[in-house]
Parts: sequence; structure tokens; C-alpha cells
Amino acid sequence: MALFRVAESLRKRVGQSREFKVVSEKGPEPQKPQVFESWIWSSEYEQALKFEKQLLRQYRGKSLEDALPGKIVSNEQGQCYEISSSCCAKFKTVTYEQSRQVMISDLKVLPGIGPANEQLLKNQGYKTVEDLERHPRWKMQAYEYMKLIDKKEVNLAQKWLWQRLPKSHPLLHYLAGFCQNQDFAIVDIETLGLSERPIILLGIAKPTKNHICTTQFLLRDIPDEPSAIYALIAQLDPNLSLITYNGKSFDIPYIKQRLAYYGLDGYIDNTNFDILHFTRRALKPKLTDCKLETVEKYLGIKRDINIPGALVPHFYDTYLRTKNVGPLVPIVEHNRQDLLTLGTLFSKLYEEWA
Amino acid sequence: MIEEFIRGIKQSRSYKKQIVHLEELPAHKAVWGELEKPLPENLQKVLLNRKIQLYSHQAQAINAARSGKNVVIATPTASGKTLAFNIPVFEALTRDSKATALYIYPAKALTNDQLKVLKELEKESQIKVDPNIYDGDTPQYQRASIRENSRIILTNPYGLHQYLPWHYKWRKFFQNLKFIVMDEAHIYRGVFGSNVAMLIRRLLRICNHYHATPQIILSSATIANPEEHAKRLTGKDFEVISNDGSPRGKKSFVFWNPPFEDSTNTLRRSTHQETKDLLTLSVLQNLQTLCFTTSRQMAELITRWTKTELTAKSKPTNVITAYRAGYLPQERRDIENRLKNKNLIGVVSTNALELGIDIGSLDSVIISGYPGTVISTWQQAGRAGRSNMDSLVMLVAYQNPLDQYFMKHPSDFFGRPHEQAIIGLHNHYITSGHIMCATSELPINEGDKQFFPELLSASIQALEQEKLVKKTPHGWVYSGTARTTEVVSLGNISDKTVTVFCNENLLETLTLNKAYEEAHTGAVLLHQGETYICESLDLNHLVAKVKQENVHYHTEALKDVEVTINKTHEKSNKSTKIGLGELSITETYHTYITKTYDTVIERSTLDLPPLTFSTIGVWFSIPTKLESS
Repeated sequence: MALFRVAESLRKRVGQSREFKVVSEKGPEPQKPQVFESWIWSSEYEQALKFEKQLLRQYRGKSLEDALPGKIVSNEQGQCYEISSSCCAKFKTVTYEQSRQVMISDLKVLPGIGPANEQLLKNQGYKTVEDLERHPRWKMQAYEYMKLIDKKEVNLAQKWLWQRLPKSHPLLHYLAGFCQNQDFAIVDIETLGLSERPIILLGIAKPTKNHICTTQFLLRDIPDEPSAIYALIAQLDPNLSLITYNGKSFDIPYIKQRLAYYGLDGYIDNTNFDILHFTRRALKPKLTDCKLETVEKYLGIKRDINIPGALVPHFYDTYLRTKNVGPLVPIVEHNRQDLLTLGTLFSKLYEEWA
Repeated sequence: MIEEFIRGIKQSRSYKKQIVHLEELPAHKAVWGELEKPLPENLQKVLLNRKIQLYSHQAQAINAARSGKNVVIATPTASGKTLAFNIPVFEALTRDSKATALYIYPAKALTNDQLKVLKELEKESQIKVDPNIYDGDTPQYQRASIRENSRIILTNPYGLHQYLPWHYKWRKFFQNLKFIVMDEAHIYRGVFGSNVAMLIRRLLRICNHYHATPQIILSSATIANPEEHAKRLTGKDFEVISNDGSPRGKKSFVFWNPPFEDSTNTLRRSTHQETKDLLTLSVLQNLQTLCFTTSRQMAELITRWTKTELTAKSKPTNVITAYRAGYLPQERRDIENRLKNKNLIGVVSTNALELGIDIGSLDSVIISGYPGTVISTWQQAGRAGRSNMDSLVMLVAYQNPLDQYFMKHPSDFFGRPHEQAIIGLHNHYITSGHIMCATSELPINEGDKQFFPELLSASIQALEQEKLVKKTPHGWVYSGTARTTEVVSLGNISDKTVTVFCNENLLETLTLNKAYEEAHTGAVLLHQGETYICESLDLNHLVAKVKQENVHYHTEALKDVEVTINKTHEKSNKSTKIGLGELSITETYHTYITKTYDTVIERSTLDLPPLTFSTIGVWFSIPTKLESS
């Protein structure tokens, strides 16, 4: 008996523990948030809870297929639920020529060249890294760098630039010009928390000429998790470049942690364009924070239904406990919208560098 | 020197027969030991260069560890336990260039000290070990490199509790883990110890996942049940090494009872004032002395009062200082070094210095008030006495019944065995909590009964009913929305820390509860014997601001404690009613008093929101009959 009481008190504490703060609009400005997405406005919070109640009424007795049309897919790890959609959207990067021009014009990409040296070299007529291939001192490094550019070695070029420049530097964004639309995959996951808990939804979007096609792998229940992770990995050809929002610190390590948790093999080592860094550099001065919802307002993107990202765990937990599929609907939509917004944001950010 | 000191006290005019007992603990010579097979050359050289011959207990411990056994070394302070576990670890690291070892210390302060020892040993043994501390203070950017490259990592249970879910990042370290060393293992008793016991089971389960079966070496103060304690703490069988072979000088143990101050013989002179006098005397006689007090504030006050005495006698005061938790690491290090270099003659400390921080051995120890256990008393007493040198321990009694009992029956104390270290493995709250944590580290399966022989199935069943775990083809998987390691804590440690600033400079940190007592607005915060007046305590940002001001008073916060029963789980209605259930404890700090020495000079009101925490408790209802009689 006592053990059930203990579990009950653990449940209570789990329920009380939150990874976000509810901040009143009336109160003082919130302190600098420590973790990205760590607070929401109290009005948003209350609205979301009301919305949840409404969903539970609306979807009572409905099946998953009714609420979210899709199909069950199988792989070696079991089954999960796949939801696909396609949306008209412009996704464009810069051309290779534009990209190349920008990437060779900054001489500071070579180790040992700082702003002063760069000025000196430019005065001497070395306008680009390509020119430096003729310079007695810098020719070897210039040659190495130009080899990456000319062979469109996106992964190696990114590693090169990371050693020389901040992760938010526009050059790292221009690097995307090495790739065609079909070389990208936008990835975003939803989880039960900031670490050490199941992933509940893995979304991937692939841009084509005029469309962005999204595929989402949803857990109908916790046992679907390994299968859903494998389904995503199956979509990730090693040559694809990822576009994520904080994915370098969050999404990708999270997936790795879950694979390790299950003792499963699986590897994601794709080039990753983590556009949180670019967004911070470009938009932070203009915005109160860099939550994707805030960025959307700036870009003029409207969401029909939305819940704050921080409440996704709560909504999924409600689904698990009630088996009512209602709360899943805004989670799936939230994730899908995030994928689309990332596509748009990726293209729009180029305007900010001009 | 010691005999002379005692004689001097007895002959002085102010002596009022406070020495109620003098126990002479005879000296004993070193007993040497032999290793069963020679060490690798590099380690032989280390011992040779240091001119070290192993004591019997060290040799026994090394022999046992080298034969693959788990070993618990339970010998007194300063008997060379550290070397006894470092030798077999370094041997393993010498023979296998990938081998790793994990050192777990009960407190952060201890790891710094040990790191220095390990670095020296690394240098002398000429192998690459790159020992490093990995705890809450380790900068984020260094962490990956430490996990990848360090072959000895030092940490504490609180840190480990947080790191276990990230085991995949530690893969290389765990795969090659050959030894787990737990120093000061006697600290792991009671609620904290029971939590750590479960934490170790979680750790061993993860090692097993990476196909590692590390040997465990524990070092402990003398306790009554080392073998049982080691087994309960880790779930493994152990060989006990407890016959101390290190040499000891003669130790004089004095029981000091403060004299009566009134004609009716009811009120004794303040223990603190007696302590201060004894410390002053020791410093004047140039006896290097460590004085243990039972509270942080007393450590500071006794330091301050002793300084005042020394000033009155025109003696330098920079030879004494206080030492306690809350000081910045740099300050602590500085005190430890000055103590070792004999620049300090007197240090007044809380039990923070009871543990194995290396400060060398001193001439004398004053224990101000019985510390509550035989184990602690001997640990503190063990700080006095260099090999072959006479030493002195003085236990200054409080007026409470227990202290007074020992003063009247000293032979009872000296004949008393050390206490047992108790760990409960069947505590539902602790065990279930850690089983939940384990489900967030790796899925739980039937096979995990080898790590959690207690309560595994029943806990999982209860957790499943609350939808905190879910059965999957991989096993039981955690499915809650909160981080398990945040919901389950290792002890009743308030995680809120208040930072104290003096003119924008960081002075120290203390827990919220302590801040209520010592850093509320108007409080006199004592730091290294200096007085600081607290100007504000900002509870939103957990920051206290103080200014330095030399005052001759100190403050004491008074609280009311209210206990409410929220839920009764069980009760018995026999002659005395007993209940078990959930309680809320509310502490309200309402007043603080200002005192000079022991005299109250002012009372002021405090305006602080109450502190509340929930717990499980047992209560007795006293029959009204009994109450009225």
C-alpha cells in the first residue's frame, strides 16, 4: 500500500515541477531567461488551458485517424504514426555564385589574418582569398580554403568557418548556397521535457521548388518512440544538410541521448544550419526574445491554432492520461508550423545581412 | 609540552577544577606490512623517493585490492588511507593505458584537496592520468574534454545524480571504469546514506550496461559495522581492513566541565566563554590548535572573542581565524595552507574540518560541546597528534544532560563502541524515487533485480499506476513530464542559495534557511571573525547586501515552528496515540535579538515570509492525563 502512496506523491511532485515560468504581463519585465523558451505569459498559459478543455470536449470519442489523418508505419523498431502534408512555400537560398563571392571576399577566414592584416592585404591588391593563392605567405591556406569552396564541401567548410568565426556569422549562412533545395531537411522535435524524457513527435520537412513537404512521426504511446526515431533517421540521407532552431544544442543531442537510452545504434552527423544563431544576430535587437512565435510575428506569419512550445509536454501528458486525442492536434500543428516557419525564416534572414 | 600545559592550567589562580577527567591514551609504534607481489616499477620508485614504508593496514588494503576484492578501509584520521587506495588505482592505470577511476567525495571541498594529491602522484608515477574535478562548478566548455580525457574523475553524489542520465556522453569513461573510490564513506548514513546507496546501484547498473564491473574501495572513519555498511551502501561484498598500523604519540584527553557561577550550583559558566579562554591560552602557549564548534555562528564568535583577548594582551591576532561552509573556495584553500605552514596557530571550525581535508596534524584540539556521536568525537580528536608527538584533546561540556552525563561517567565514553552507520534499503520513498530515476537512465527490465533486489517490481507497479512509467518492448520507460533527478533529491538540502555581496564583491554564499538566520536585514553576518551588517535581503533574486562595520554585538534570529498534519496514513489508538502521515512544517522567523557576549541588549521585529516544507512524519499524542500530571 505504502508504495502506491509514494508513487502518488511522486506523481504530484512531477506535476508541480515545471521547466518554464508563467510571467504576468502586469508584473515587472521578466529577468533574462536562462534557457531558451523558459517562460510564457500568464495570459497565454490560461488561454492554452482553456483551449485544452475545449479540445477534450470536441474530440471526445474520436479516433486518431479522424483527428489527424495519417497512417501507421512499421520498421524494425515497431510502429509509429506518420502524418504528411504539403504546403505552398517559397524556399530559397542564395546561388552558388553569390555564396562563393561572399565567402572569398572575407580574408579573415584564414587563420592568422585579423582586421588589420586584411586591410593591408586588400590595399596591396589581394581582394579575395582566391587572390591570396598567389601570396607567398598565405598561399597554402588560401589553396586549402579555395579547394573547399570549389568542391562545394559544405560540411568541411562549415567546420573551417566555425574555427574562425562566431557561429552566428552570416558567412555560415551564405554557405547554404553550396546546396540545392532538395539537399535540405528541416528538423524539429517535440519532447516531454528539456532532457531525459521521451521524444513524442519528430518532424522533418523537405523543400522542393515551390513546396515544403512535411512528414511527422508521432508516438501513439511511449512504446512507439524507438520506431519514430528510426523513421526519422531513415529520412536523413547523410548528404542532406539540416536546418534546425537550436538543434545543435537541443534536437540532435536529444535524439542521440534517446538512442543511447534504448541502447540502439543510429547516427546523425549531417551538416547542421542552426539558424537560432543567425536569428539572434539579426533579430535580437529588434525583438523582445527569439522564441519562434515572436519571430513569426515579426515575419508576419499567423498561426491558426497554437499552443506555446513549453506546454507541449503538458498537452501530451493529458493525452496519455485521458486517451482523448484532442490535445495531440495542436501539438502536431505546432510542430508543422515550426517546420514551415524555419523554411521561411531561413530564406528571409538573407535580407537581414544586406 | 602537553603535560606542562596541563600542569600550567591546574596551577593557575583562575583554575576552578574544570578538569573532571584526564584519559591518557598511550603511544604505539608503527606496524609495517609487506606486499604479496612487487608493484610496477614506476610506483616502486614513488614509494622509494618519498621514503615510504607501508604500514600493515596499507599493505593489507593494497594486497586485497590487487587480488580483485572490494575493500573497505576503516582506520582513524591521518593513518594514510589515501595512499592505500591510490596505489592499486594507479597500478591499474599503469597497466592499462585506457583504464579509468571514479572518486566520489561527500562534499565539493574535499575534491580540491584530493586533486592536488592525485596530480602529484601522476607526476611522480610518470603516467598520463589527467585527474580532474567534474561537479557543479566545472565550466560547461571544459566538460566534454574532461569526460573524454581524464582517467580519474572526482565528483560528489549530488553531481553524479544529475550526470547519470547523460551516460552516453560518458561512454568511454564508463567502458573503461576499473575502480570506484568512495572516501569518507561513514558520512553516507541515515537518509543521505540511503539515497547514496540507491545512487550507487544506479551507477553500477549503467557500468554494467557498458560492460564494466569496477572494483569498489571505500575509506571510512572507524565505525562499528564497516562490512555491513559497505555492503548496504553498494550491494557488494567487501574485505574489511581496520587494524591501524600507523604510529601514534601519546594523547591526553581532557574532559572540561565549566565551573558553577552561582552559590546554588545550578548555573555553569558559558561553554563558549570557557572555550574562548582555552583557545586563548593555547595560542599564547604556541600550541597549534583546532577548535570545533557546533554552529557556524559560534565558530565566528569564538574567533572574534579570542581575538579580543589577544589584543588585550597585545598579541597578534592574525594567527587565528574561523573556517566553515560558505567561504569561497579560494579563502578555504588559503586557510588550509596557512594552517599547514603553521602561519595559523588557532582555527575555529564547524565540523567542515572534521572530514579529510589535508591540513596536517595539530598539537591540540578543543571540542566545544559533545558533537553528538562517538564517531565524530574521535574524528575531531584525530586531528591532533603527529606521529610520535604528544597531543591534547579537550572536550568542553555543554550544560545539557548528555554532555553532563559523560562528564560524570567518563569511562562510559571511553568504553563505548563507535556507532553503526545505518542505511535503510527498504524505505519506500527513497527506493521508489531512485527506481524512477533509473527508468529515465535506461529502461528497467527483470534483470535489473540484481541491482535493486529490494522493491523493484512493486515500485514499478505503483509507478505504472500513476502513469510515470510505461511498459515497452525495451523494458519499463519513464514517461513523466518532469526531470526525475529534480523531483528526487539526495537529502533535505534546500537548493536555493543566497549570494552575499559586500560593495559589489562576492563575500559568501549560504542556503536560504541560513540566510533567514544570518543574513536578514539588520543581521550581523560574521565572516572570518569580521562583522558585517546586512542592509537588505532580496528574496526574489536571492541576494543579500552587507556592509563591513566593526560592532561588538551579534544577532540571533528567533523562529516559531508550526507543524500541521495534512494527511494521516496510519494510526494506532492504544494508550498513546501514534500517527504516521504527511506533514507541513512552517517556520516563521519573527524576531531577532541583539547580544553582546551572552547578554541580550535589544529585540527587533523581522518581516520575512514563512518557510514551508512537506515531509513524512510520525507523531505521538500525549494523553491528557499525563499532560496534567
